[in-house]
Amino acid sequence: MDIELSKEDLEFEKEVKAFLAENAYKDGDAEKWRMGWFEKAREKGGWDVPKWPVKFGGPGWTPNQHYVWQRATARASTPWDLPFGLSMLAPVLMAYGSEEQQERFLPDIRARKVNWCQGYSEPGAGSDLASLKTKAELSADGTYYTVNGQKIWTTMAHIADWIFCLTRTSSDGIKQEGITFLLFPMKQDGIEIKPIITLGGSHTVNSVFFTDVKVPVENRVGEEGKGWTYAKGLLEHERSGIAGISNSIVALEGLKEKARSVKRGNGSLMDVPSFKSKIAALEVDLMAVEYTELRSLATASAGAAPGPESSILKLKGTEIQQRIQKLTMEAGGQFSAAWGGFNSGPDFARGGTGGYMNSRYYTIYGGASEVQKDIITKKVLGIKSSR
Amino acid sequence: MNFELSEEQQLIADSIERFVADNYDLESRTAIVAKGGFSEEYWKQMAELGWLGMPFSEEDGGFGGNQIDTMLMMEQFGKGLVLEPFLASIVLGAGALKRAGSAEQKAAWLPGVIDGSKQLALAYMEPESGDEPHNVALSGTPSGDGYKISGLKCMVLHGGTADAFVVSFRTSGGTVDESGITLALIPADRDGITVHAYPTVDGLQSSEVKFDGVEVSKDDILGEVGEGFAALNAAINDGILAIAAEAVGAMEVLYKDTVAYTQEREQFDHPMSDFQVLQHRMVDMFVEYEQSKSLLYRATMEVAADGDDAQRNVHALKHLIGKAAFFVGENAVQTHGGMGVTEELRVGHYFKRLIVIEAQFGNTDYHLDRFAA
Repeated sequence: MDIELSKEDLEFEKEVKAFLAENAYKDGDAEKWRMGWFEKAREKGGWDVPKWPVKFGGPGWTPNQHYVWQRATARASTPWDLPFGLSMLAPVLMAYGSEEQQERFLPDIRARKVNWCQGYSEPGAGSDLASLKTKAELSADGTYYTVNGQKIWTTMAHIADWIFCLTRTSSDGIKQEGITFLLFPMKQDGIEIKPIITLGGSHTVNSVFFTDVKVPVENRVGEEGKGWTYAKGLLEHERSGIAGISNSIVALEGLKEKARSVKRGNGSLMDVPSFKSKIAALEVDLMAVEYTELRSLATASAGAAPGPESSILKLKGTEIQQRIQKLTMEAGGQFSAAWGGFNSGPDFARGGTGGYMNSRYYTIYGGASEVQKDIITKKVLGIKSSR
Repeated sequence: MNFELSEEQQLIADSIERFVADNYDLESRTAIVAKGGFSEEYWKQMAELGWLGMPFSEEDGGFGGNQIDTMLMMEQFGKGLVLEPFLASIVLGAGALKRAGSAEQKAAWLPGVIDGSKQLALAYMEPESGDEPHNVALSGTPSGDGYKISGLKCMVLHGGTADAFVVSFRTSGGTVDESGITLALIPADRDGITVHAYPTVDGLQSSEVKFDGVEVSKDDILGEVGEGFAALNAAINDGILAIAAEAVGAMEVLYKDTVAYTQEREQFDHPMSDFQVLQHRMVDMFVEYEQSKSLLYRATMEVAADGDDAQRNVHALKHLIGKAAFFVGENAVQTHGGMGVTEELRVGHYFKRLIVIEAQFGNTDYHLDRFAA
């Protein structure tokens, strides 16, 4: 064991920082910059797809290199990116998709040309995802499925070009069987999207309704009825992504700065013992979870799906994000209650309560904390049944 | 000691409960919020039913009630997240006036306040005052028989519709001294006053009020010059008791809605309420609610009796309420899952009000600190 980064890692860190500095957004067309950024990252040898295996064009980094990358990008100006195609669908296609599917979908995902969304949760299937009911019926000639049903909490469905969707093709046997993994375009007749406005006042999630949507069989990933197996691996990728630990480290620094700008007596809010100790406790937890992530990164072989330890990261990572939001709101004091309009409170207070309310979602989506605890109960502690 | 309500108290609590049930479902409330503010019609109704006169002495034209009566009313208001400016005008603005004002000043304003035709607002908080009501930088310089004041007051509840402000300003001493604070009642249309009204996340209305060389005459001053803190602090203590009662009402809705939801919704082929982890969580929510209610009763009775330990009780209450509000609110949202963070269900709306209450009149940490001091 050794806490130092090697000489090679330090060289790599320099290279990453130089790349990020050189390619930070300056001015002009943001979308053009975004596309150019990914192009340049690609030329560096797969930096546009850091987690993809070498076989599919990824950089094949060591765990330390991933760590360096995450830390550096969290502080840098990098283009927006959605995880659905890149981090969630792509690993499934690599593991279970046909060669034709890999050739058809992966290049567009990599080029950020096609936005994907995830058709998982349904009104009656939240934590109990496997009870989903959206029906896909195979045509008599076996060439296409007809999809009917409803998905909910579909993030970014309103800007997505395609969806990867869990559907039910059979109700025989246990509910995990009979689920089929289908891919289809979002912009077609028979798909209706209704926005869901969350308490922070924003629109990111939607209800999506399918009426007689036809999906050719070549858009099925793997075998009919085996979709649950594919989906589970994907959820593990989703979880480690949601933990957002590098971002929290940066956000905590930002929070301290904000608190320092709030005057209290002759000092600032950071001099108020009760507030300071909450910040300190948060920092301690964050230091630990950062190393929990590194330990998991070190044991996972490159490209393999993370195991149940991704549940720890999701649990602690989201809780930390929520605490940061809560303390940000607290630092704004009563001004955090203002909903727009003129007020003399600190600027950061304007979004305080909205940010906090939206953060409540972190321990609900991507498998609620209760689900993560169930996974650890069964897979790690080895306790078989619980209620 | 006696926890029984009088027949009159029971009647008024029941009638407010009915009013809330009839008028304050989420949809109706959302419609009122969308129109920006509160319902004039409901406000009139509240006046006609005598609710606005409850915490005033008969001499002042009220019904002779005290903080206990206000508590019973606010708890019911909390169940519907009532939007009308009862807290702003009756408890805070008129609460300061009834304590510090002369017979003439009271006669000029209280009848209108009680019949709902006039609204008062309490302007005491400042950009850098933090949680401390005695932290007053806005200062008055002698002018004529009174003062000229300049400065900013912020988070003035319902300032946008107020006919007059009860304003705290400094006439002597340092910024954080309790002495040297003077109160005045200043009509909102006086020269030099600018009001910026804005909505808050809980659907209520707040404002910033700017005083730019505003003339305050001797007749505007409430009580003695430099002696305003006692009345200000008493009005704020009443405000704390009132929002704590409102929070208790809101927490009751949250824990009950959560229990009902887990009994309706099935996951893993069982109602969610079959799962022990959720059962125990809901028990904890219920316990927090009960504890809050107990301390609310204790603090309210202590203040109403003008007991020696009143101030300490208020600090204890505001601390406990803030802690319980977050515990109950966060767990209600979490247990409702995705639905809990949407505008569609009422849990999130109740939680937002609790969040605002936690920060109002000093937050959870501030009051623990004062309690321990």
